[in-house]
Amino acid sequence: MKALEFPATTPPLDGPESLSNVIEAAKSGDLAPFETLMRRHERLVLVTALRLLGKLEDAQDASQEVFLRLYRNLGKVQASDNLPGWLYRVTVNVCHDARRRRPDETSVEEAAELVSRGADPQQTATRREELRALELSLRLLSYKERAAVVLRDLEGLSTEEVAHILSTSQATVRSQIFKARIKMKDFVERYFRRRV
Amino acid sequence: MNCKNWEERIALYSGGDPGPTSGADIERHLVECAGCRTFANGIKHGLELLRSAHREPIAAAHFTAVRAGVLARLAQENEQRRPWRWWLWVPGLTAALAVVAVFLLVRPAETPRVRVAAAVRPSEDAPVPLRPSESVVPRVRVTRVRPHRTVAPVPRMPGPPPLVEPLVVKLITSDPDIVIYWIADRKGEDE
Repeated sequence: MKALEFPATTPPLDGPESLSNVIEAAKSGDLAPFETLMRRHERLVLVTALRLLGKLEDAQDASQEVFLRLYRNLGKVQASDNLPGWLYRVTVNVCHDARRRRPDETSVEEAAELVSRGADPQQTATRREELRALELSLRLLSYKERAAVVLRDLEGLSTEEVAHILSTSQATVRSQIFKARIKMKDFVERYFRRRV
Repeated sequence: MNCKNWEERIALYSGGDPGPTSGADIERHLVECAGCRTFANGIKHGLELLRSAHREPIAAAHFTAVRAGVLARLAQENEQRRPWRWWLWVPGLTAALAVVAVFLLVRPAETPRVRVAAAVRPSEDAPVPLRPSESVVPRVRVTRVRPHRTVAPVPRMPGPPPLVEPLVVKLITSDPDIVIYWIADRKGEDE
């Protein structure tokens, strides 16, 4: 399979601290180079996990699990030569496991209640409430739809890259993105009580 | 106009992913169809809101907490993988070496090696040399006698006829000034 690169999100390390050197040093058991590796990719992991799970505490737990898996699989990562892709894939999987272990039904109910209440942002909704509503709109999606939207629309990856990360076809990703965008559009329209 | 079959293409195109349909075809349809223009604007607006909602930066402290948690877990795992910690086994090894050194210092001096040079019979005129296969190098053995253990009597095997005359063995040591004679009285052994 073609190795995808993610230049927009994680440019390669330059100079003596190249990615390969840092991974090689981390493989020896030294935690300092591994911390460098974490600093380099922590935004990718934590932000993606937050968008997939919706709660910061859960996202932090998932991020820790992702980095622990990275530490235990440094050899594989070095061989694959596609660390961002590997991190995205593991983050999606870890968050999926977390959601299966602890489904967040209250957020779905809260989202449905918000839709039925139909708050008007022009008068009552604060920015925080608006953000919360948009966050909850993601909860109405299936996990696969949500992962596709997060990676494609929020992380800015191409459809090909998303398909590679989710281990599926581009046609499936397009279908998931299409359904997710329709659902979110309906949610936003109903929540804000207006046709855009 | 029923534009259901355009929805998927428009939804993808509005998010920057035209899919199999060319962008020109979709643009042409959007010019002609007001309903689909509204639909496309709705998709774009939803996406813009979603992106703006997730543009909020995450405080650096949250990243630090993740890093600290991971490093703490890894340090803990590394400790668990090393049960023989150096601060435990180094003193133990030192004590063992000290015990060995004390044992070597206080043990008795080495006994000179002795080899059997010849065996003579006093009744004969000339000494009878031993065959090479009969040469013996005696060794000093420290045996611990356990009083509670009893040795069962070994049944005697029929052997050569008993020697009447005593056997004298001359032992020559590595020290030329020391010669040991070993006289074995074989009389009455078979009785």
